[in-house]
Amino acid sequence: MSALAQQWGESLRSATPAQGPRWLDELRLRASDQLTAHGLPQRKDEDWKYTPMRVLEKLNPAIAYHPGSENHFLEKGQTTERGLNGKWFSDPIFPAALLDKPDYEIRVYDGVLVGHEGSDRPGVTVLSLTEGLQRYESLLRKHIESVDISGSAQAFTALNTATLNQGLVIHIDQQVDAGTMLLRWALSGKAGPSIHNFRVFLLLGEGTRLQLIEQFESADHSGSALNVVVHVELGSNAVLDHLRLQNESENTVLMSSTRIDQAQGSRYLYAGFDLGGGLVRHELKTVFGGSGAHATFLGAFVLDNARHVDNHISVDHASPGCSSEQFFRGVLGGRSRGVFNGKALIRPGADESSVRQSSANLLLSPLAQIDTKPELEIYADEVEARHGATVGQLDEAAIFYMRSRGLGEAEAKRLLVAAFCRAVTDRLENQALAGRISQLIDQAMPSFTQEN
Amino acid sequence: MLEIKNLHVTVGGKAILKGLDFSIEAGQVHAIMGPNGSGKSTLGNVIAGREGYEVTQGEVLYKGKNLLELAPEVRACEGIFMAFQYPVEIPGVNNTYFLRAALNAQRKYRGEPELDSMEFLKLVREKLKILHINDDLLHRAVNEGFSGGEKKRNEIFQMAVLEPVLAILDETDSGLDIDALRLVAEGVNRLRSDDRAMIVITHYQRLLDHIVPDKVHVLADGKIVARGGAELALKLEEQGYTWLEQGGIQSLGAELRA
Repeated sequence: MSALAQQWGESLRSATPAQGPRWLDELRLRASDQLTAHGLPQRKDEDWKYTPMRVLEKLNPAIAYHPGSENHFLEKGQTTERGLNGKWFSDPIFPAALLDKPDYEIRVYDGVLVGHEGSDRPGVTVLSLTEGLQRYESLLRKHIESVDISGSAQAFTALNTATLNQGLVIHIDQQVDAGTMLLRWALSGKAGPSIHNFRVFLLLGEGTRLQLIEQFESADHSGSALNVVVHVELGSNAVLDHLRLQNESENTVLMSSTRIDQAQGSRYLYAGFDLGGGLVRHELKTVFGGSGAHATFLGAFVLDNARHVDNHISVDHASPGCSSEQFFRGVLGGRSRGVFNGKALIRPGADESSVRQSSANLLLSPLAQIDTKPELEIYADEVEARHGATVGQLDEAAIFYMRSRGLGEAEAKRLLVAAFCRAVTDRLENQALAGRISQLIDQAMPSFTQEN
Repeated sequence: MLEIKNLHVTVGGKAILKGLDFSIEAGQVHAIMGPNGSGKSTLGNVIAGREGYEVTQGEVLYKGKNLLELAPEVRACEGIFMAFQYPVEIPGVNNTYFLRAALNAQRKYRGEPELDSMEFLKLVREKLKILHINDDLLHRAVNEGFSGGEKKRNEIFQMAVLEPVLAILDETDSGLDIDALRLVAEGVNRLRSDDRAMIVITHYQRLLDHIVPDKVHVLADGKIVARGGAELALKLEEQGYTWLEQGGIQSLGAELRA
C-alpha cells in the first residue's frame, strides 16, 4: 500500500470522531477501515489504469478536518472573515452579468461552506450538511448509503465518506423553477498541502428546473486537493442544467464522483470544461429509472505541460425510451495526458433507447497522450447507438491556407484549436457564457512554439 | 515585380521544375498554360511558400528581394496572394472572422491601423457589391460545404478584400460551369489594376476568353517552352498539348520559342 494511504489511515484513526446520527458514525468508521485496508487506486483497477497517482503522492496532502466548524450554516447574506466579501475569492470567472445575475451564490472555501446569498424563492432550500441531515435525514441517508466504498478503486469515495461532515444540500420542491445558482470553489493551500472532502446533494423534485454553474478559483499554486462526492436526484420531468469549469493550477488535484438518479422524463444536461489542474478526475454516472429521460454530457479539455484530466462517464439505460449523448473534445499539448472513458449500458427491456458518443482529440505535441475508450453494451432491441472516437493532429493544409492569407503560424493554430472546441461551446444555450468560455479556452491553449 | 531565374524544384525527390524562367511587371496579366504534370501548380505553390517543395537551383525575386527565404505569411503580407485550385475547408472558423484576422495581420505588418468589425463589414459590403457575391458566404465556416463555384468565388472575394500586389490564380477555372466561370472571370477583371500583377494558371484557353492576358507562357516538362500574346492560347487550344510535345513548338515562329 502506498505511504500516502497509510498516512491517511493513521490520521483517520487518531482524529476526533465526527458527531452525527449513529448510522453515519458507523458508516464513517466502515469507510475508514476500507480505505486503510485497500489503499489508493492502483493500475490493476481497470477504471484507474490510466490515472497516475504520482501527482497526488508528490503533493502528499494531509486530510483536512473541519470538525464542528459548521454547526449551523450562515444566515443568508451574512459574511465571515472568509465569507462573501472575503478576499479569498478572486474575481469570478463568470461575471454576474453573463449569468443574468444568478439567483443564488454559494461559496465553498477549503472544503467548508463559507457563505451564500440570493433571492428568496419559495420552495428552494439551501442548507449545510448538518442542517440537511436534521431536515431530510432519511432522504440523505438513502443517498449516502448508496455510495460504493469498497476496494482500492473506491478509495476517494471511501475517504469522502470516512471524513463526511461538510456538505451542501439543495432541495427544490416540485414544480419550482429555482433559476440559476452559482457554486464557487476555492482552495488556499494555506495550511500546507491538504485534501479537502465535501459532499453535495442536489435534490430536484418533480417538474423542477435548476441551472447550476460551478467554477473553481483557487489561489495560484494552492497545492491542495479537493475530493467531492455529488448526489443528484431528478424527479420526473425535472431539468438540471449543470455547467462546470475549472482552470486550476498545475499542482491542484480535483477528484469528483457524481451519481445522478433520473426519474421519468427528466433531463440532465452537463457541460464540463477542464482548462487546467494537475490531476483531475470526474466520474459521472447516471441511471435512468424511468422512461423518456435524457442525459447529455458535453466536455472539452485543453491541456498543456504535464496536466492530467480523466473523464469517466457512465450511462445506465435501465428504462426504455431514454436517450443519452456524450460529446467530448480534447486538446493536448506538452506532456499532458487525457482520458475519456464513456460507457453506456442498455439493459434488457430498455427498448427504443438512443445512445450517441463522440470523442475527438487533437494531439499538439509528440509527448501528449490521450486514451479514449467508448464502451457500449447493448442487451435490448430497437436501439439506436452511434459512437465515434478520433485522435488527430492539426490539419497542415488548413494551416498553410491561413498562413497564405497572412496569419502567423501560431495564430492559425490557435484559430483551428478554438474552432475545434467551439463544437462544444456552440451547444450551450447561453451564448454569452459560451463566448466567455471560448475566451478562457484561448488562454488555456498551449503556447504554439516550435515544440508544439 | 516578380522575376524567376532558372528555377529547379523537386518534390519528394522528383524533379518537377527544370530551369524555369519567368517575369511579370505591375499592371500585367500573364497566363501560364500547359498540360497536366508540366509543373504549373508547383510553380504557384513555390511562390506561395508551401512546404514540401525543394528549390535545388535558381532564384525567385519579388520586388527585388529573395522571395524564397520568406515565410508564407510574410509573403502574404508583402502582397502575394494565391487563389487555390482546391481551397481548404476549415470547419468552425467563420469566413468573415478569418478574413478580418488575415487582413488585420497584413495591415499590422504594414504598420496600418487594424480595422474593427464595423469598418471591416463596410469594406466587405463594398467588395461583395463589386463582385456580385451573395453575403451568405460570410456567415459560414471557411469553404465548409461550399460548392465548387462558391469556393472559387470565395477565393476571388478574399483577393478583393486583401488587395494583393501579385495574385496567382491556380486553375481557378477547374470545376466551374460556364456561368460560374464567367462570374469568377468578371470578378478577376474588376480587380485588374495598374499596380497589380496577376498570373493565371490554366489548362484551357476558355478562361482566357474572359480574362484576356497580356502574355501567354507555355509550360511543358518543367520549362517555359513558348511565349506569346493571347493568340498563342488560341493556337494551343486548336492544336492541343500533344501537338506541342510532338515537336509542334518548332513550327512556332522563332519569336515565340522560349
